Amino acid sequence: MLSFLIRRLNLLFITALILTIIAFIIEKNVVVNNTIIDTSSNNYLLQYFSYLINIITGEFGYSALDNQPLLARGLMFFASTIELCLLGLVFSSLVAIPLGVLGGLFRDTKLDYVIMTIALSGLSLPVFWVGVMVLLLPGVWGDLLPVDGNLSLVYEVPSVTGFLLIDTLFVTDQYGLFAFFDRLAHLLLPALVLSFFLTTEIIRLTRHSMTMVMRSNYIKAAYAKGFSRRKIVFAHALQNALPPIIPQLRLQLSTILSFAMTIEIVFNLDGMGDWLLSSLNAGDYGVLPVGMLIITSFILFFSILIDILMVIISPIMRGSLYANQ
Amino acid sequence: MSFNPQISHDIASLDATTHQLFSRLVKLNPDTNKFIPDLAESWQQSDDKLRYRFVLRKNINFHQTDYFQPTRYLNADDVLFSFNRMIDKKHPYHTVNNQTQNYFFNHPFTAFLSEINKIDDRTVEFVLSKPDVTLLANLAAHYAVIHSQEYANQLLQRGHPEKIDFQPIGTGPFKFKSSNSKGIVRYSKHENYWQPMTNIENLIYVKNPSATKRYTKLLSGECDVIAYPAASQLETISKNKEVVLNSKSTSNVALWAFNTKQDQLKDSKVRYALSQAIDKKTILQAVYFQSAMQTNTLLSNQSWAHKARNNSDIFNPEAAKKTLVALDYDFTKVLTILLPENADVFNPNFHKTAQLIQANLADIGIQSEIVKLSGSTLQTRLSNGNYDTYLTGINVHINDPDSIFRPLLSCNSSPENGNSSRWCSYKTQVLLDQSLTESNFAQRIKNYYLIQDEIMTQRPYLPIAHVLRLDVISGRVKNVEVNSLTGINFQNTIKQDLN
Repeated sequence: MLSFLIRRLNLLFITALILTIIAFIIEKNVVVNNTIIDTSSNNYLLQYFSYLINIITGEFGYSALDNQPLLARGLMFFASTIELCLLGLVFSSLVAIPLGVLGGLFRDTKLDYVIMTIALSGLSLPVFWVGVMVLLLPGVWGDLLPVDGNLSLVYEVPSVTGFLLIDTLFVTDQYGLFAFFDRLAHLLLPALVLSFFLTTEIIRLTRHSMTMVMRSNYIKAAYAKGFSRRKIVFAHALQNALPPIIPQLRLQLSTILSFAMTIEIVFNLDGMGDWLLSSLNAGDYGVLPVGMLIITSFILFFSILIDILMVIISPIMRGSLYANQ
Repeated sequence: MSFNPQISHDIASLDATTHQLFSRLVKLNPDTNKFIPDLAESWQQSDDKLRYRFVLRKNINFHQTDYFQPTRYLNADDVLFSFNRMIDKKHPYHTVNNQTQNYFFNHPFTAFLSEINKIDDRTVEFVLSKPDVTLLANLAAHYAVIHSQEYANQLLQRGHPEKIDFQPIGTGPFKFKSSNSKGIVRYSKHENYWQPMTNIENLIYVKNPSATKRYTKLLSGECDVIAYPAASQLETISKNKEVVLNSKSTSNVALWAFNTKQDQLKDSKVRYALSQAIDKKTILQAVYFQSAMQTNTLLSNQSWAHKARNNSDIFNPEAAKKTLVALDYDFTKVLTILLPENADVFNPNFHKTAQLIQANLADIGIQSEIVKLSGSTLQTRLSNGNYDTYLTGINVHINDPDSIFRPLLSCNSSPENGNSSRWCSYKTQVLLDQSLTESNFAQRIKNYYLIQDEIMTQRPYLPIAHVLRLDVISGRVKNVEVNSLTGINFQNTIKQDLN
């Protein structure tokens, strides 16, 4: 286990180092008044080390617009993006896992074709376009759900964790649950748009994984023993079909994040995408390296975390504990 | 964006500051067009018309906030501070937030105000360099707001004078609470306001560049008032019974200026013929929808000096072509149409307007070229005079004809400051200067009539449209006052059904 962890962390370390080099190049060439590179010497290596030391100590510089520390701002906005992604993930899992399982169980039947048609149409609709279409909904159906902004302006909720759903629950007591539900209402449509893409992805993964499991020998053996189909599916197939989806989904993480960032811009939600775009528009290029580092290190950490998690929960994956020799 | 109407003159900033955070010495009664007291209780004019004495109201409180606690009421020092910042070049606050480059920062007052004296704590005296009847109009304008000297001194001691424009302190009905980089500005009620107040505890402004989203927010009840609805949605909005579409005519006018120093535009008959060639009706329909009114005069019909007789449509391309042929106009030369790159309040789409003008000119056989510039390149081009015509407009802040005629027609006004026709005529200049010192109202009106007649025949400008100020107000909200010159006022606003 220890050597496995070391191998993973080694990978993390090297990748992170490459990322900081890229961030350094951006910082050096794009950001006009950067304060975190020591330019007293002309040696690029020394400059890079001064930069590295600064970012390791959490010193990412300050915004040229409002003089706020960039790292704290960036993390706050990133939390909003994650909030949107998580809600989108919940929505799509609720719909997609049952559909995927059904598709896998009844492969090549009419039901399967219907499910796959839904999945395919979800995949072929660009998220940005769906977002813009949803913006027009109030004109068609009346004002069911808000399509713009984070939270109704009457609620004044300070950002403590960055996750507004949590902040509305715990930071401001005076609004009761109203602010929380208002936040939820503001997130519903964007999360629904994001879940469009995710649903497609999860249906396909679940269906494939389910098919593979149902074809395996131990399921055949279970049938031969005369177990009922329900018992086979719920007791044996499902728990083996679902875990392989998670590492597959991990590969989609950066796609999900970039879609979430696009959706933020369409729906005018606070978040990484909106922050980066508005800062760049205002000429605050210092956000570029910071935003890149936050997003990439999140994806990196998360991938490795999933790796470790998979090893813990899935016996098949445990093989990777031992290096191939 | 600053919260000081002395330095931020765009409509959005004014709406958010001038009536909400601040008060002025006098104000204009919108119904009678007379000046009425605001912070000044009364005023007197000296016999030589050079001195105005203002007596200030007693017990006026400044805002009490977490960044400033006033220890005294408003007095003459505050008035002196507010105006000296603009006119006194040695004032410690004169250069704060780099306003010296801003033409409008001190312009209206430096032109005629020589000094301001404190007579006693409650009396101030404005001394003019020459008699000028527009003083009161200027004091009622949005930029004549009164700041707190005590606050300014505290900031100076703390070494942060720049905060005066971003964490404002005033005497208005609302006080500043917070603002953020996303353009959300929060005000709360000023408890010690000297006039009766509304039931509004919090006033929130939010910036949203999409007109469709603004309207959606109004419909869903997330906001109560929206400014500038999309011109194309006006018809739908006016049919909705839950909202009120408030339209106010303004004096802001869209213009097409002829460079009168350019050889082939020197003849006033040519300029008149070109004016005849332009189909303003189509421009109005294609660019403004219902958000402006076609016009043929510089002054809007709400101005007291407006000469109504002149306002008729002169569109007649055949006559225009005939005149030009008779005048031996050189049709081979390409006419330049200069225009700013970004939309302004007086023109939502300069480029489309220019294209329509181009088509009209082509109809009478004149080739033209559209030149789109912005920022300093535009300024340079204007000041060196290398253009035939310029598509522009003027934003009017006070209800005095001088504020529109002087920038456009005075010999002392540069093209960057408004005189893009490079018009300079002895007759106009004399009339302009005489009217400023004329205290006989009838004679003043007569002078402005003469100027308008002169402009009608000389045609340095083709006025295209007077722009409307449009706001959509939710039915839940009553008594929103919209002043087309200085912005929106929520002082008496009542929101029903607060839950």
